[in-house]
Amino acid sequence: MRPRLFLHVVGLEARKRLSYRFDFWIQALVSFAAELGIAWFLWQAIFHESGKTVIGGRTLDDMVLYYVAVILVAKLARGNLFAVAVASEIYDGGLNRYLVYPVPYLGFKLAQSLGTLLPATIQLFAFGAIFPFLVKGSLAHPTAASVAMGLVSILVAHVLYFVMQVCLEGVAFWADNVWSLNVALRLVSGLLGGIMIPLAAFPDAWQPVLAALPFRHVFSDPVEALLGQRTFLAWAGDLGVALAWTAAFTLVARWVFRRGSYAYTGVGI
Amino acid sequence: MIEVEHLSKTFRVQKKQPGFVGSLKGLFRRETVEKHAVRDVSFRVDEGEIVGLVGANGAGKTTLVKMLTGIVHPTSGQARVLGFDPWERDDRFRHQIALIMGQKSQLWWDLPAADCFLLLQEIYRIPEADFRARLDELAETLGVKTLLTTPIRRLSLGERMKMELVAALLHAPRVLFLDEPTIGLDIGAQRAIREFLLAYRERHRPAMILTSHYMEDIERLCKRLLVIRDGQLVYDGPLEQIVQKYALHKVVTAHLRRDGVAVAVPSFDGLGEVIETTPDLVRVRVPRARTAEAAARLLEGLPVADLAIEEVDIGTIVQRIFDERSGTRP
Repeated sequence: MRPRLFLHVVGLEARKRLSYRFDFWIQALVSFAAELGIAWFLWQAIFHESGKTVIGGRTLDDMVLYYVAVILVAKLARGNLFAVAVASEIYDGGLNRYLVYPVPYLGFKLAQSLGTLLPATIQLFAFGAIFPFLVKGSLAHPTAASVAMGLVSILVAHVLYFVMQVCLEGVAFWADNVWSLNVALRLVSGLLGGIMIPLAAFPDAWQPVLAALPFRHVFSDPVEALLGQRTFLAWAGDLGVALAWTAAFTLVARWVFRRGSYAYTGVGI
Repeated sequence: MIEVEHLSKTFRVQKKQPGFVGSLKGLFRRETVEKHAVRDVSFRVDEGEIVGLVGANGAGKTTLVKMLTGIVHPTSGQARVLGFDPWERDDRFRHQIALIMGQKSQLWWDLPAADCFLLLQEIYRIPEADFRARLDELAETLGVKTLLTTPIRRLSLGERMKMELVAALLHAPRVLFLDEPTIGLDIGAQRAIREFLLAYRERHRPAMILTSHYMEDIERLCKRLLVIRDGQLVYDGPLEQIVQKYALHKVVTAHLRRDGVAVAVPSFDGLGEVIETTPDLVRVRVPRARTAEAAARLLEGLPVADLAIEEVDIGTIVQRIFDERSGTRP
């Protein structure tokens, strides 16, 4: 897809998202506060009841900072739940326009998905700037370099999550109403990628499994890079693996779409 | 410009038994049936032609259009549009066609039309000067200049359809597919769109395939007709020819002056058949060739205030073709 068209679509989608004021503030305040509140009370109780000061290598302040970061990163990595909408476009025939217009469908959808990130990006910088001062006992020391590495990781994480989502939503070519697959991806990736529990808190036996799956590259790696908890070499190695996963899922997504287009009815006969 | 040879499309459609038990069974096993949407269709369309594609609901019109625009792959057969296989979706092909679906917006629902058009300018790489000139001309002609900043979802159906037309024509396509472009529109909006399409055809000479249930669309816009039934092409030829073949009669209606005097309807034996008489009017069905004679007899024998001569509408003609093919014609 031509960069100029790609950026045009990104800009258009971003403007559209910002025009939904109600949605912006609900996402910015309510969902962030709710998710953080749950994590805060849960881990306070766990630390209090266990009598430990460090769990999974993190103090309570570290844990809270991790959750702030992972909630904000997850918003960027996963993007808007309804932005991709590949399954619904196959289901209701919205795909037709992209088949008639001379544009690559997946490139166009990725641009739209990136465009929806603007509200979450504003939230990341707004909340992210405040929290390190509030959680003074944290051992994390974000620097300009770590923030830059984190932002690159988030961008790659977004593309990786996008192609995984597209592969699953492509099932809609053969089965109606596969929205639940998207929800399943959210839950599984959230659990095994470090949103619900930091990966270090999983039992040792689980660690090789978690390391072999792509989900850590979507949430846990960008957070650790952002908070200055990765060396440059470790970060670069993980980024390379994330890019390899992205390439693999892109190939699968293209195959799904090529095969699926034979089954596509354009809705209505 | 469009060459179609033995094109067929068969869909596999899942069937679900009715009721709660049927729904439960459907969770584990579903029966599928084959639906032959298009069967062995062949035709060609040349530059500047507007061809009407008519048929009942589910006859296969939309599927045929979807195949020719590359949305759907055919099961068998060939089609070349502007020298391309449509379903290969070559960008050079897609730059030269446009599709308007009356029942499905091709524009982005949340965006104002102006933003949609700017996006299309980028998609089709339309030079700025051409884009401005075409947008001005199209928006002016269709009377939508003041609506360009309104989100598509806030427009009326007629306004939206006009915006769809603008969007479809911005890149000056050489082939235009119009699938029910006037569906649901009021009479005025239908007429405006018909007149616009005629004028556009005169100026730019694109090939157009038009499907419509409104026979006035077909009569006003198309000189040639493709009639499709159960996926099969049952007629391909001039509109005039089927009118001659299947509309053997015309109906002449005389509206009478009401001056309180009872009148006797003249005899039409050997000329035609009186099909309705009231104190206000007399309607007579006569062979096409003897229409003038029948009108003269009505004028001579009755206090005629107004006289109307009606063609059999094209919908009736299409139904007669169907009846003839299925052997049910009386």
